[in-house]
Amino acid sequence: MASYYDIDGILMEEEFVPVVFQKAINGVNIDESTEKGCVEQGSKTELPFWLAHELHMRQAVSISVPNCFNQKTRLEIQADAACVDLRSRCPYFYEFGCKLAPLCDKSIGLLLSYAFQIRYKEVLHKAHTTAFAAASKFLMLLTKEETYLYDAAQSSMLAFKKWRMGGPRLQRASILGRKRKPAE
Amino acid sequence: MAGQSDSTMSLFSSEEIEFMAEDEMTEIVPNLRMDSLNFICGDYGPFLPQLAAQVPLWLALALKKRGKCTIRLPQWMSVENLTRVLEAERDSHAFQPLPFHYIEISRLLFDHAREDIPDMYMVRSLVEDIRDVRFHKVETNLEKFTASTVTWKNMSAMEVNVIRAFAGRALQAFYKHDNEQQTPDTDRALDKQPQIPTDRPKRNLKPR
Repeated sequence: MASYYDIDGILMEEEFVPVVFQKAINGVNIDESTEKGCVEQGSKTELPFWLAHELHMRQAVSISVPNCFNQKTRLEIQADAACVDLRSRCPYFYEFGCKLAPLCDKSIGLLLSYAFQIRYKEVLHKAHTTAFAAASKFLMLLTKEETYLYDAAQSSMLAFKKWRMGGPRLQRASILGRKRKPAE
Repeated sequence: MAGQSDSTMSLFSSEEIEFMAEDEMTEIVPNLRMDSLNFICGDYGPFLPQLAAQVPLWLALALKKRGKCTIRLPQWMSVENLTRVLEAERDSHAFQPLPFHYIEISRLLFDHAREDIPDMYMVRSLVEDIRDVRFHKVETNLEKFTASTVTWKNMSAMEVNVIRAFAGRALQAFYKHDNEQQTPDTDRALDKQPQIPTDRPKRNLKPR
C-alpha cells in the first residue's frame, strides 16, 4: 500500500494544509499582491502537505488542523458517520489523517478509526445488497479507500453470480465465426 | 502462482476455483471395460462394468459426457443430509462442516450429471438454501470484525473467494487505524522531532 509510486499516496500529499510561518523567509512570495519578496514571521497560508511536512521538520512552519478535520466535521461524524460526505471534504480522508495526526493533532487518529468502523458497515451493507443504479448516490459520499472497498466487494460478488448463472462454457474461437468470402 | 487471473489483488476467479474443485474424488460406476489410466496425478482404474471406482471429478465428468459411466452422488449431497445441514445452519451461528468445494461440486454435478441425481430439484434447492444462509452468515460476521483475530471455521472455497478482496482491504485499514492510535510507530516518532537546523557551516566529508 505504501509503495513509492502509489498514485493515491502522491495525490494525497497534494492536499492543502494551513500553516503559520515561524520564521521570516527571504526570496519567497506566498502572496502575489505583496511585492516584498519575503515571507514574514507569523504569516498564514496554505501549502500542499508534502511541502508543509518538509518545512515542519525544519521548524520553519507550524501546521494547524485543516478544514476536513475541524470541529464541525467531527460533530457530524459523531452524529452519523455513515451520512457524512467525506469525498467533497477530502477524498483521501483516512490516509491524509494518518499522516497528519502526529504532526498537529493526535485525536485525529481516534476520529478516523471511529469513522471507519461505522462507515465500513455501511459499505458492507450497500455493496452486497443494493443494485448499482441505486448505489450511485451513496457512492458520492465515499472516500477513495472506501470506494475501493466497495468495488472489491461488488466485483467479486458479480463474478460469482456470473459463474453461477453459467453461460457459454466453451468459447468460440473468433476464426470459426467468420464467413467464407464469396467466390468471385 | 501461475493460475492467478489478477496478480495485483491475488484473486482467484470463480472458474479457477471450479478448476481446483475438479480434483476432488468421486465415485463412479463405469459401464465399460478399460485398463487402468496412468496420469501424473495418479493411477485410476482398471475399470470394470458395474464395479464402482474412485476417480477425480474431472475424469468422472469426462467419462460421463461420453456416456461411459454413472456418477454416484456423494454422501453429503443426499436429501436427508442436506436437510439436516440446512436446519443446523439456521439454528447456530457456526458454519456446518461441508466439503471445501461444495458449491462448485454441486454445480458441476447439476450441470453434467442431472440424471444421476435422484430428487434433482429438491437437492438443488436445498444446496441453494444452504448457500444463501451461509452467505448471510458471512455478511453478519463481516459486520462484526475489527482488527482483532478472526476465526471462522468451515468456510468453503467459494465463500472465502467472494469476500477475499473486500475482507483483505478492510482488515488492512482496520489494522492501520488501530496501530495509529496505540503505538506511534518508530519512524513516525523520529519524524516528529523536528530537525534543528544548525548554523554551523556544513562540514565536508572526507572522501574515503
